[in-house]
Amino acid sequence: MDATIFGAWVATGLTLLIFSFLYKDNPLFKLAEHLYVGVSIGYTIVKTYDTVLVHLVVKPIVEQGEISLLIPVGIGMLMLTRYVPKAAWMSRYAFAFIVGMGAGLAIPRTISSFILKQVEDTIRPLLSLVGSDGVTFSMNLLNPASNLNAIIILLGVSSVLFYFFFSIEHTGVGKVVARTGILFLMISFGAAFGYTVMARMSLLIGRLTDLIEYSDASYGRPTIWLLMGIVGALFLLSRKGQEHPPDSH
Amino acid sequence: MTFSERMLKIDRRIIFLVIGLCTLLPLLYPVGLPIKISSEVRGVYDHIESLPEQSVFLLSIDFDPASKPELYPQAIALLRHAFRKNLRVITMTLWVSGTGMADQIVTQVAKEMGKEYGTDYAFLGWSPGGQAVIINMGQDLYSAFPSDYGGRPTKELPVLNGVRNLKDVGYMVDLGAGKPGVEEWYVFGKDKYKFELGGGCTGVMAPGLYPLLRSGQINGLIGGLRGAAEYESLIDQKGQAVAGMDAQSATHIAIIVLVIICNVFYLSLRRAARAQGQAG
Repeated sequence: MDATIFGAWVATGLTLLIFSFLYKDNPLFKLAEHLYVGVSIGYTIVKTYDTVLVHLVVKPIVEQGEISLLIPVGIGMLMLTRYVPKAAWMSRYAFAFIVGMGAGLAIPRTISSFILKQVEDTIRPLLSLVGSDGVTFSMNLLNPASNLNAIIILLGVSSVLFYFFFSIEHTGVGKVVARTGILFLMISFGAAFGYTVMARMSLLIGRLTDLIEYSDASYGRPTIWLLMGIVGALFLLSRKGQEHPPDSH
Repeated sequence: MTFSERMLKIDRRIIFLVIGLCTLLPLLYPVGLPIKISSEVRGVYDHIESLPEQSVFLLSIDFDPASKPELYPQAIALLRHAFRKNLRVITMTLWVSGTGMADQIVTQVAKEMGKEYGTDYAFLGWSPGGQAVIINMGQDLYSAFPSDYGGRPTKELPVLNGVRNLKDVGYMVDLGAGKPGVEEWYVFGKDKYKFELGGGCTGVMAPGLYPLLRSGQINGLIGGLRGAAEYESLIDQKGQAVAGMDAQSATHIAIIVLVIICNVFYLSLRRAARAQGQAG
């Protein structure tokens, strides 16, 4: 059998097995789920072994004599001492190295990229100076750089920050500001949820597109045959469940 | 039990069926709804258009098959555009689980466009370390990737002539489905080594990346299947993403209708309960 056709049958079967969960939890779904986890882990282990151990460690040391690589290898090996209780303390040096290096790399870059740059972008001029025309105020909501949007963003950031400021009671004017903050948060959650729905539907579209393609005669119509097979299997499993109900104890 | 109560306790499998049909029918019988191009997608397109021939274009394919429906069409469209512009295309991945798929995408598009491996494009494969790889590439690309995916020494690839590190890259686009992804490429790449960066991401991630877009930290953003459809329209090579847009619109309408109906039933139940309380 051609590899493409075999792949189409496997992909179709696994997609339909996963979709069978929409009917109810069943052993066919569990089989596909466990296969997915197993294959992903297996693939990752093999690729990591080949790329890291063979190509980045063993070959350079043995073939090119890069002895300096033994230092990171040694630090990495210290991690494995976690499995030997008496020597487990040695793994702390490896963790200390990783945490120290990670924090050292991440903290300055994150502050620069996400705090300073974003603060700079939030505090934009509320009015623009344009040549001889003097001061202008652009009202275009669709232009992210307009003055009106600069005011909306400033209001949003300030009110949301105030909402998360718990040292004073949210009463009077404070209540109005906090409520405004909630309003901005709700709009943000709504936008995020809308995008999430779009993403999930895109995944469904992707799978259905493949199922439609694999219903073609050139592949041997795996979608139709496997759909019938899985529906039949679910029916039999359902009947078996009725005849032998699970123990209630 | 009132009608509203019955409807609010409806078997969820009926809703699954409705959504399934709303997705399936437009895929079988497409209508061809118009696709409006957004400024964020145009940002990526315009930048690639502005690059002179033989500029270095780096594409990091940072996703795995789980995000394939959204990011695969983006990768295909971007590669087609870059190859059409005769750019030198360098591809790589920071996701070990996406290595095989990334290789398949690059090889497929290169073959379709008649490009030669090593001269017109290269796939560097995967290197461990995530953000550390980006920093390493910023200092010395050949240290991060001593050999390409096929095991050939990267220093011998003609496509990399004159490229020492990320500063020599004309434009870089990251297609990310998580971490490491667009944010890491900005934080550890662009912010430090000053090259032009665009992004592509899944729909779930897009709202989180808009602040980077507005502040100019990235010059364009392709968000989800919708973004991919816009890019396909821009390069005038309609594919999987455009084909899925009718289904996307139909499911969105179905979900909006379901949300409205549920709220109507919920409010009518609440009103009935209140009226009962007053009568009691």
